Amino acid sequence: MASSVSSQHDQVLVEVKSFARILTLNRPKQLNALSLHMISRLLELFLAYEEDPNVKLVILKGKGRAFCTGGDVAAVVHDIRTGGWRAGANHFMKGYTLNYLMATYSKPQVSLLNGIVMGGGNGASMHGRFRVATENSLFAMPETAVGLFPDVGASYFLSRLPGFFGEYVGLTGARLDGAEMLACGLATHFVPSAKLPMLEAALCAVDSGDPEIISSIIGRYSEQPSLKEQSVYNRLDVIDRCFSQKTVEEILSALEREVVNRRDRWISATVQTLKRASPTSLKISLRSIRVGRFQGVGPCLVREYRMVCHVLRGEFSNDFLEGYRAILLDKDKNPKWEPSKLELVTDTKVDRYFSKVNNEDGEDLKLPVRSKFNLPPYVVAKL
Amino acid sequence: MDRAYQRTRILTNHLILNSPAQTDCLTSNECLSYSPPELSEKYAFDVSEMRRLMDGHDVEERDRLFGLIIQSKLFNPRVRGGKVFVSPDYNQSMEQQREMTWKRIEYLLERGVFGGWMTGKGEEVEMKRFACFEVLGLFDHSISIKLGVHFFLWGGAIQFFGTKHHHDKWLRDTENYLIKGCFSMTELGHGSNVRGIETVTTYDSNTGEFIINTPCESAQKYWIGGAAKHATHTIVFSQLNINGTNEGVHALIAQIRDADGNVCPNIRIADCGHKIGLNGVDNGRIWFDNVRVPRENLLNSVADVSPDGKYLSAIKDPDQRFAAFLSPLTAGRVNIAVNAVYQSKVGLAIAIRYALTRRAFSLKANEPEVLLLDYPSHQRRLLPLLAKIYAMSFGANYLKMLYVRRTPQSNKTIHVVSSSFKATCTWSNMQIIQECREACGGQGLKTENRVGHLKAEHDVQSTFEGDNNILMQQVSKALFAEYVAAQKRNKVFKGLGLEHMNKPCPVIPSQLTSTTLRCSQFQMDALCLRERELLNRFVADVSQCLARGESKEHAFNTNYQLAEDLGKAFSDRAIFQTFVEAEATLAAGSLKDVLGMVRSLYALTCLEDVTYLRYGYLSVDNATAVRREITKLCSELRPHALALVSSFGIPDAFLSPIAFNWIDANSWSSVQH
Repeated sequence: MASSVSSQHDQVLVEVKSFARILTLNRPKQLNALSLHMISRLLELFLAYEEDPNVKLVILKGKGRAFCTGGDVAAVVHDIRTGGWRAGANHFMKGYTLNYLMATYSKPQVSLLNGIVMGGGNGASMHGRFRVATENSLFAMPETAVGLFPDVGASYFLSRLPGFFGEYVGLTGARLDGAEMLACGLATHFVPSAKLPMLEAALCAVDSGDPEIISSIIGRYSEQPSLKEQSVYNRLDVIDRCFSQKTVEEILSALEREVVNRRDRWISATVQTLKRASPTSLKISLRSIRVGRFQGVGPCLVREYRMVCHVLRGEFSNDFLEGYRAILLDKDKNPKWEPSKLELVTDTKVDRYFSKVNNEDGEDLKLPVRSKFNLPPYVVAKL
Repeated sequence: MDRAYQRTRILTNHLILNSPAQTDCLTSNECLSYSPPELSEKYAFDVSEMRRLMDGHDVEERDRLFGLIIQSKLFNPRVRGGKVFVSPDYNQSMEQQREMTWKRIEYLLERGVFGGWMTGKGEEVEMKRFACFEVLGLFDHSISIKLGVHFFLWGGAIQFFGTKHHHDKWLRDTENYLIKGCFSMTELGHGSNVRGIETVTTYDSNTGEFIINTPCESAQKYWIGGAAKHATHTIVFSQLNINGTNEGVHALIAQIRDADGNVCPNIRIADCGHKIGLNGVDNGRIWFDNVRVPRENLLNSVADVSPDGKYLSAIKDPDQRFAAFLSPLTAGRVNIAVNAVYQSKVGLAIAIRYALTRRAFSLKANEPEVLLLDYPSHQRRLLPLLAKIYAMSFGANYLKMLYVRRTPQSNKTIHVVSSSFKATCTWSNMQIIQECREACGGQGLKTENRVGHLKAEHDVQSTFEGDNNILMQQVSKALFAEYVAAQKRNKVFKGLGLEHMNKPCPVIPSQLTSTTLRCSQFQMDALCLRERELLNRFVADVSQCLARGESKEHAFNTNYQLAEDLGKAFSDRAIFQTFVEAEATLAAGSLKDVLGMVRSLYALTCLEDVTYLRYGYLSVDNATAVRREITKLCSELRPHALALVSSFGIPDAFLSPIAFNWIDANSWSSVQH
């Protein structure tokens, strides 16, 4: 046991550097997928640092080629199989609580996204004040391909991207590089990976938590990368035209109309991606992003938690377990979605995912009270 | 430290030139910080459920349109205090504002927002269209008026006065904006009195064409929305003169610009110029110089002219024929009434949110200053307006349903209700926005804070599509006619909600208690009592004039004061009735409880009106009791203020910086960015 505890403890490495704390996600073999333990540990550390006047800044990074690839889906599935959906929901409850804490954190968090950042990894970084991308960054919210939906507060941060880029990224799971992340606002800075050690050293030398000062320090190492010619970000007009449509079906037919007009491989690939994704996932994801556009980050997470409870309970669809089987377990990449077609996922079915979980042991996400801290304006604006 | 001492010390420091560089009296003052009201205020009821009740229909459609606006650069998104706000740039020139209005319309067209607006039929389509107008109106009055002219006035005229071949020829192209329509009714010399317009149309049977003329300067068409820049076609209202006989006002279609935007021959167009608001709409003036249009362009649902030049009409009575021509204006009136309520919502949501974060004066030294909304006087200013907005919302929903379910039999009711609600809602809107602007202090003056600017933008609502005073006079005339008809029918009233006249006159208890004052039956009785007594009095006074041999018109004109009071009494009672009906649809619970308080506050605010004392419907003691109960209700509703304005369902982006973190929005760093 002792060794397991210490190895668990090693999953988040802590460095104390004067007024800064560097937290390193340390499960490189699993691409730093967040175990329940890591989430608990991060929660514990963030809560403690908030009370500690000697901490002014928190730096979060990942060991190896990933920042973080998200939640530990295998563990979630295992817990559902042994302890019921509620046990699986526990992972999400903890995770979303951490997301909310980060979103409303009274001290600046700098995430160094030098590698893959997906799903829950975005939940652990996008809500913080500073997100530093590099040439190694690779962003995606790929949930619709595994029967889930972009959660961890994605309905807050995706819905606030320019135009209808958020719908595009959330529905297709499109991968973005560092330059694209900066262009659309997912990243606040772009720093070449070679300069990261210098940036870290400079941040560790700072004795202030003033976001303006920290921003200017990161700015000193930042560059303005140019978008690749083929970048999706150069296709914002098509994305806006198609992904602003009312329903998933209308988005698809708008894309198909575009293919006819311009025989663009990117568009036909996008259509294919959407057709491979879980129809239920697509519909609840679109609704989630659209609703999230008018909600604060707290209400977004509360709603997403209701949604994920419905997904895990499998009352209306078992696409989550099927997606796990086809993509992560058997890896046949051939999930049998049920309902199998978009038109079978009616509005009333979608509505149910947004309803309160009416089960005795099902309860709403309880967000930690934040009013005792003096929250900076950029946090207040998110409430 | 006592204040006098502190002031003395500061003054002393000023006076002693070589005072030490002491700044501690500055640094020791802790800065004000903004605390979002969401953190301190609790919601006692489900805000989204209340919103569904208030919006009444098409909530998803509204949210989609809100999203289309917020996510597009065309709607001028600006970041203030970390939040995005959308609102037109009113600092642009008139020309630029018009250009932007048109670009926004093109964007919405591309996104399919207008699909089915002209070619679709039925309740659902019409309600959805109303919902879209409400949303667009929340962004900007100009875009909603520009669209309203094209769809409701031009398109509506073709739908209502045209026949199949007009529908086939014009409606689809209108929906797709292949043509841009306008509506030439008003002239320099004639506005509300449409029957007096001077434009003349004659018929040439040799060519089968109508010839339209502007015979004098006062006949120039005026305020024609869309005419100055964009419109390609117009509905022209003119006196139809056939073989020397004036057949009265008729409408026909004329092209005024070609597809490239060049003004057509024999048409002269001038700009109405800069206005106090609505500068995103290109209002113009039009003169017609022997403009020839084909015979088919006469909108002939009511009357026609045969190829050989014979006037044919199914309706022989010119009064009735004329009334039929005005029916599309009803849709416009419904829209204006509803839109006014939504403007009030914007103003009040801003003023209340500001009052929940802005403090002024401490009760004792060294205590924190008091929130504006914790002052009873501030509650008294804003919360009755909140109740009024709730009442008008239910009234507006009722009016929309009445309109979309119209039948030939309900036309009179629609005319009376839409006239009175249009006047009431637009007048109330101006009053509410003014109060909200004052309640925001100096911040209310900044255009970016919206609340003050809304006044200029919506002032026009009191006079367009029927001057409010004239509309209210029409309401009283209609009630008079009902009274006379009821007398003929042996004193039975039917329709317009006047059935209460058939019952015995309600009696107001001599000592009004709090319980009675909050009872909806009492409230209804008190409103019915006033309407009944004013109607009786109005009929008596008008009849007296008639008995003296005066004309009906003169009798109405001299009794204008009673007519005005009666119109308001009708409107207040009718709106209250819709409130009671909306409340009745709810199951018992906190939402219903809060709404009940709001209803009471609305009713008692109506009872506070001067007419109750003027005509003696309430004793001085009872009027005092009403006033006392209002202040009690205000303090009881204070904890629900945030929830009640959040239930308006207006996205943050459509409010303004003072409704949120106004300190950060005004910080030095925001100046630099």
